[in-house]
Amino acid sequence: MKIKLYGGLRQKAGVAEREVSGATLREVLEEMCAENTALRTAIFAADVLAPHVRVMINGRDSELADGLETHLSPADQIAVFPPIAGG
Amino acid sequence: MRGWAGNILDINLTDGAIDVLPLDHEMARLFLGGRGLGARLLWDLVGPEVEPLSPENVLIFTTGPITASASQTSNRFNVSTKSPLTDTILHANSGGWWGMQFKRTGYDALIVRGRAEKPTLIEITAEGVSLQDATHLWGKTVFETTEALGQDRNKRNVLCIGPAGENLVRIAAIMNDKERSLARGGAGAVMGSKNLKAIVVEGTQKNQPADKEQFKFMLYETGKLLKASPLTSQALPEFGTAVVMNVVNEIGALPTRNFQQSQFEGADQISGETITDTILETNQACWACPITCTRITKTSSGKEGEGPEFESAWAFGAQCGIDDLDAITEANYLCNDLGLDTISMGNTIGCAMELAEKRLLHSDLRFGRADLLPGLISDTAYRQGLGNDLAEGSFRMAAKYGAPELSMTVKKLEMPAYDPRGMQGQGLVYATGNRGACHETGNMLGPEVLALPRLIDRFATQGKAGIVSVHQNSAAVIDSLVYCKFANMAVAEEFFARTLTAVTGETFTADDLMMVGERVWTLERLYNLREGFTKADDTLPDRLLNEPVAEGPSKGFTAQIPPMLEEYYAFRGWDKNGVPREKKLKELSLQFAIEVAE
Repeated sequence: MKIKLYGGLRQKAGVAEREVSGATLREVLEEMCAENTALRTAIFAADVLAPHVRVMINGRDSELADGLETHLSPADQIAVFPPIAGG
Repeated sequence: MRGWAGNILDINLTDGAIDVLPLDHEMARLFLGGRGLGARLLWDLVGPEVEPLSPENVLIFTTGPITASASQTSNRFNVSTKSPLTDTILHANSGGWWGMQFKRTGYDALIVRGRAEKPTLIEITAEGVSLQDATHLWGKTVFETTEALGQDRNKRNVLCIGPAGENLVRIAAIMNDKERSLARGGAGAVMGSKNLKAIVVEGTQKNQPADKEQFKFMLYETGKLLKASPLTSQALPEFGTAVVMNVVNEIGALPTRNFQQSQFEGADQISGETITDTILETNQACWACPITCTRITKTSSGKEGEGPEFESAWAFGAQCGIDDLDAITEANYLCNDLGLDTISMGNTIGCAMELAEKRLLHSDLRFGRADLLPGLISDTAYRQGLGNDLAEGSFRMAAKYGAPELSMTVKKLEMPAYDPRGMQGQGLVYATGNRGACHETGNMLGPEVLALPRLIDRFATQGKAGIVSVHQNSAAVIDSLVYCKFANMAVAEEFFARTLTAVTGETFTADDLMMVGERVWTLERLYNLREGFTKADDTLPDRLLNEPVAEGPSKGFTAQIPPMLEEYYAFRGWDKNGVPREKKLKELSLQFAIEVAE
């Protein structure tokens, strides 16, 4: 499935989008961060999402589903946002 | 001065009278300054019989007790007047340097009454206050005027109108420090109606805290919080306010092509990330601000200036179906130079595009026509051709062409960059906004999208009214102190109260501040009720209430205002028609407005 990255995560990942696989959101994010410590540090604080990091699944905040344990299907679109503010 | 200077400068342009009035201390404690003090003074000075563009309307420039104290973000100021766009009470605030510098002249507020016979400017320095002939400046742009009057960053600061204000364009802004703006609601037209071109300030006084040690401690603590928060120390400096473009688009709440869709395929091209990658030259900060969110940019054609901020990038971008960042940025520069509100300008052009596509307006204007933006903006400022219609704002223009329902406005103020169908709470903020559709008076982006301070379901309606009310009250008190709302992302009201206590030497708690916020909000409501506004005005355009979003994450949703509105009135202690009860007025020390209460 496709993961889109925003803000400073793009620079850390070197790309704005990636194809990843996994059964849960945690597996997908862990796969994306494998071998990229900077990216992992930006997204995770220990084994939970870092403060102010938001992950959307098909436009809905993952916190309103089962968080990192949310089950995913191959058609799901994931978007990961680092701390952002504005408006 | 310790917080308040204790003086209000009162100028009548009709007869040239210059007076200094004492600031009523009880009034200052109840309303603090900025937006609150402006509303309180306007209540007494401008009643329902006054036409917004008549000499009887007033402009009230206000600072707050913390302004110029050097507390982080203590640079902002406010203008209050009756709006020529909405006919409601209007408050607008701005950052930069002018507010700090005006406070240093020794005044908390400036009331401008009447109408000068010929173009005039006001100069306020240590030598005194003078009214000067500004005929030679009439017709000049904001940048030309600011330069001609000797803007000098920390020493001499210029506030002025451009051609849009002179030509009584209802979406004209007042500009300060060249590219900062008191943007919304047409205050620039009120200034133009008074033949007032500019106000130049040079101050020498200091806002010295009553308790220096405590103030220093609060500076240190506030600085730590701003530095520790990734929002104020990383996100805003690195990507600016437009970094929220992608998240608002991702959730399906980015109004597109005059709110016909809620996602824009070109969102990333006009986002904060792309601005940083392509046109950003450097950051800039307002006075006493460590956040540095301002973008200094340069387009590929070599033009330079400030911006665009998120709302401006959206207004000329998604709202108009345009993904050309250079064109959007240059449209933003042009609005600054001509003195126009970018949100209202872009929103109104988007409405005209839909009118033209539906063949209600005979024009080759179409969504995506970036090439037409400069001409439309310029024509608006000078009221030429179609620009004369655009100059009236979206609602009056759409009504002229027989389709007022295509105007995306509340109380005739053009909506900013959030689709209420994808953010129900934001819809309630727009519907109940005292100055019309406004995101600055209780933005729900925090709780509904960014989980600040915690996440709530953006599609839920039950329970939203209380959260919206608290956000509105919080915004009202921050606008009265006057702080920047971005500081509030890292610094809680309790810290503002402790700093205010240190500056003034008078004790304020966070609860006191929130009561000020509720008092200000309620007084603004009472002002509008006195003007004849009713519950029927607390609503959204028919499109948002009755046309479900067709695609994307907000698919199938409409804005559910009626149930939230009922809950909102009850939460605020108002009756079922949205009229504050007498008991509430007594609780808020607003007995002077009892005539309007239930």
